[in-house]
Amino acid sequence: MILVVLILILGALFVLLGVRNSWRYALQRIGGAVLVLILVTFGTTVLIRQVPGEPCEIALGTAATPEAVAECVDDQGLDEGVVAQYLTWSQQVLIEGDLGYAFYKNQEPLSETIQQRLPRTVILFFYSQLIALAIAVPLGIWAAYQAGRPSKGIPIWILPIIVGGIYIYGEFITDWLFTSVLTLAFLLPILIFNLFRGGRGGDTTVNFLAFGLLSLPVFVLGVILRYAFAEERNWFSLAGYVPITDNVIEHLKSIWVPALVLGLAAAPVYLRLLRADMIQNLQQDFVSVAKAKGMSNTHILLRHVLRPSTVTLMTVLGLNIAQLVNGALVVEYIFDFDGMGSYLIEAIYRQEFFAVQTLVALVAIIFVVTNMVIDVFYSVVDPRVRAEAA
Amino acid sequence: MSNVADNLAYTSKAGPPDTVDSKREWNLIFWLSVGWLVILVVFILLGSANPLVPEIERNADLINAQPALTNFWKDSCDPEVERCGRDAFVVGGLFGNDDRGRDVLAITVDGGRISAFIALVVTAIGIFVGGALGLLAGYLKGWIDVVVQIIINVTLSVPALLLVIFIVVVRGRSIWNVILAVSLLAIPALARIVRASTLQVADREFVKAAEVLGVKKGSILFREVLPNVMPTMISFAFLTTGIILVAEGGLAFLGLSVESPSITWGRIISDGRADFRDSPWVVLTPSMILFFTVLSLNLVGDHLLKRYDVRGSGL
Repeated sequence: MILVVLILILGALFVLLGVRNSWRYALQRIGGAVLVLILVTFGTTVLIRQVPGEPCEIALGTAATPEAVAECVDDQGLDEGVVAQYLTWSQQVLIEGDLGYAFYKNQEPLSETIQQRLPRTVILFFYSQLIALAIAVPLGIWAAYQAGRPSKGIPIWILPIIVGGIYIYGEFITDWLFTSVLTLAFLLPILIFNLFRGGRGGDTTVNFLAFGLLSLPVFVLGVILRYAFAEERNWFSLAGYVPITDNVIEHLKSIWVPALVLGLAAAPVYLRLLRADMIQNLQQDFVSVAKAKGMSNTHILLRHVLRPSTVTLMTVLGLNIAQLVNGALVVEYIFDFDGMGSYLIEAIYRQEFFAVQTLVALVAIIFVVTNMVIDVFYSVVDPRVRAEAA
Repeated sequence: MSNVADNLAYTSKAGPPDTVDSKREWNLIFWLSVGWLVILVVFILLGSANPLVPEIERNADLINAQPALTNFWKDSCDPEVERCGRDAFVVGGLFGNDDRGRDVLAITVDGGRISAFIALVVTAIGIFVGGALGLLAGYLKGWIDVVVQIIINVTLSVPALLLVIFIVVVRGRSIWNVILAVSLLAIPALARIVRASTLQVADREFVKAAEVLGVKKGSILFREVLPNVMPTMISFAFLTTGIILVAEGGLAFLGLSVESPSITWGRIISDGRADFRDSPWVVLTPSMILFFTVLSLNLVGDHLLKRYDVRGSGL
């Protein structure tokens, strides 16, 4: 039912846009998405059956009566074959919208937990993406602009030697605050000098920075920043999430470090992509034309080169949702942030497999739908994609 | 924790030609990274036979002892500790001790053994299975391509870490289950890259020539296509190893990797978290080693990718 409506809407959109074979294209897109979703959810059902012992007994605990276990088995369709179990599950979850229990023992409905916790995670994602873009876009533009120029500035291979050297020195003196301040005192001036000195050195520095951030595991950054801002200083509140409507400052205080960690993890991905894309665009003929017409470099960079790259960036923003969920699992666990990520970890520790199964399916649905929307958006913005697809 | 975005970000596109200066610079960084990886491998292979690494022993006297060179340099030995004078280096160990009196360098090397083993096995599986899938899909096309693409899309549409956690929890936390789970993350990533690369190679003249000459498909695949896909595959293998190290670290950090008494880097970091204020070296030592290892793998992979880049080998 929903499917037919979706296909109709998408098809109508394509007809309006004047795509050739629009109905076939809509059918292909949605058909592919549905196939992926069915396979993912079926996969989780198969996995549930591999739980050693009876998943229902695990879910209900040792104190459960045999009747309760039997009811649960019947409810989940565990006594039937894989396909029948899958059909039971998909009818319950996907068609009736009954998500089951967050914690099977207390019969807490999962939908309530989601209602309570999902907004927090969404806000966390939103801030982290803002931070990531605020870092990635200026640096990416700058790096792409400087990439082809002669080298100036301090050679970049000094950085790992300095960091390594100071770290070994830190092992000996063991004053970690002093060591980290010393590291920053060496690193920041070199980085900032190289950045503003321009030339290829600026590009190399940005690249190296991106590599550094890309290689820094989320949990390492999270542990260090939690200590620095939440335990040593009182700049971040571990007391729990405060809605923005209550108190803006408290709200920011309860969310900024996890958002920063997620943002720093996502930034290098966007940064490298934007840089590569812009370098490619900078070599196009239209840049020479614009330059010949006497436009300023800033104008060419921002209006002619950045614009097509924005579309690529949007695509990756969508694809990065899966990555964000990965990060959120770890970051929310580190910062005791009660969002969906920490619920998932808790559910896994408590072996609430049914809830985890449903959530995995929901995340996959969100991911697939987002990507489909972005695909459509892409084809709306970029006529070349439309022509290719049709 | 690989996903499409990562792969996109890693894909180097045709840029301006490198200047001699910057080439020299990146070469230096490349050899520094290789040097670090070699040191790491030597330490892990030598294990307890290495004279620099003390035995893992639980010693109540040494709980949270500060790194040894403090004593050595400041010349302030604690007279309570018997072995002071001559063995100043050994008391507290070069990298200090953790809250159970174990030498941090020793457990880091020991943990590195398992982390590296998992990362290498998973990468090998990724190359063989993912590479084979990608090659077949990219060269033979047809229904194989459709099936491989579906596999890739399905695996990439679930957040990798969530899937890995789910599998490990359901199937139990043995080392082979961890490897199996993390492989599911490496296979589609590599299959994707190899497929894209194969598609490009399969269009080149020498492949067409071989086809026209009537060479068998299998022979073309192994003699013509594979050698040309190999450099890209090897470069991405380095990047994948880094990603797997981090993924396994995250898993261990959440307490879901290989069961104790086996220890991995993520686990040391997670265990040391509680005592960060008093003994930050317990967290920072494995963290820095993990960071430098992943950085080196990324730099080496990227350098190789650039070196063997067939222009415009985008996705």
